[in-house]
Amino acid sequence: MRIPGALYAARGRAPQNEKEVPFQEILPLRLKNTVSGKADSGSDVACLQEMGVLFACLKDNEFVEKYCDKEISRFQKCYKVYMDRKFEAKKTVNQGIVQPGSNLNYKQLNKYMRRFPNPQ
Amino acid sequence: MSWSKNISINTWRCGRLMSMYPQHYVDPIYKMEDQCSKRTELLRLSHIPIKGALNNSSDTIFNGEIKQKMVNYITKNGEGFLSRKLMAQTLEMIKRTQLEGSYISPGYNKTETDAESLLIQAVENCRPLLQLSSIKRGGVKYHVPIPLTNKKSYFLAMKWLLDASREKDRKVSLPEKLAWEILDAAHGHGRVIKKKEELSRQCESNRAYAHYRWS
Repeated sequence: MRIPGALYAARGRAPQNEKEVPFQEILPLRLKNTVSGKADSGSDVACLQEMGVLFACLKDNEFVEKYCDKEISRFQKCYKVYMDRKFEAKKTVNQGIVQPGSNLNYKQLNKYMRRFPNPQ
Repeated sequence: MSWSKNISINTWRCGRLMSMYPQHYVDPIYKMEDQCSKRTELLRLSHIPIKGALNNSSDTIFNGEIKQKMVNYITKNGEGFLSRKLMAQTLEMIKRTQLEGSYISPGYNKTETDAESLLIQAVENCRPLLQLSSIKRGGVKYHVPIPLTNKKSYFLAMKWLLDASREKDRKVSLPEKLAWEILDAAHGHGRVIKKKEELSRQCESNRAYAHYRWS
C-alpha cells in the first residue's frame, strides 16, 4: 500500500546527529569587552525648522537675501549653537572621566568594561 | 653625506619631518585692539607658552584679513610676490573706476571710493547660506542642502569671485577682470551673485531631502 506523503510531513524532519555534525564556534559565544562609538555620534540633522522658515521667506522674496535678515541670522545662530554644543560634547567624551550613573558614553563604558572583562 | 644621514636619523626618531607646536601652546594675539580689549585674557596668558606669530601677521592698517586671504587664494606655484602685485593692481583699478565715476557725476556723492571696503562688501555679498552635498541613499544620489560654517562660506565667496575672473580672454588681465567682478558683486549684481542665487534656488528645490543629512 502506498503511504501518503502527508504522514511523513507531520513528523517533520529528523534532527541531525550531533556526532556526525559537531558544533562549531565560529564567533566566540560571549560578548566583547568593548562597544563601538557609532551610536553616540548621532545624526547631524539640526535646525530643520529654521531652514524651512528661511526657504519660505526666500521663496516669497524672490531669493533676495536682504529681506530675510531675521530668518538668516536665526538660522545661522541655530547652526552655530549646534556646532558649539557638539564640540563641547566631543571634548567631554575625550576627557573620558568615568562618573557613576546610567547615562554613559562609549568611552566611559569601554573604561568600565576594561576593568571588569568577561571571563575567557 | 653627513646631512642626509642626519635627516634619516631624525625621521626615524620622530616619524615625521614636520615640526609642530605642542597642543597646550596658544595662538598669539598680534592686533593692538585685541590686546586692549582682552586685558583679563592677557593676564591669564602670561604663564602659558605662546606660538610664534606668523610671518605675515603684522598689525598695520595696510593689512586686512579678507585682503590677505584673497592674496593667498590668487597665489599659484608659491609666487606670493606676484599675487600681491596682482591684488594691488586690482585695488588700484577699482579705485580708478570709482573715482572716475564720482568725477563724471559730482552731484552724486554716494560713490564708494575705498577699494578695500568695496572688496569686503563684495565678499560679504557673495557668501552663500547653504551648500548642496550629494548623499547616496538606496542607490540614488540626492542633493541635500547643508548649512555652512562662516569660514567655509567666506572661502566659497572668494573662490567664486576668483573663478569668475579667471574665465576671460587671454588679452584681458586678471586684475582687470577681478576688479570688474568685485565692483559688480559689491553693488549686488553680476555673475557671482547670480551663481549664489542659483545655489539657493537649488537648495530650495531640494529642501525635501534636508533630513537625509548626516555626519
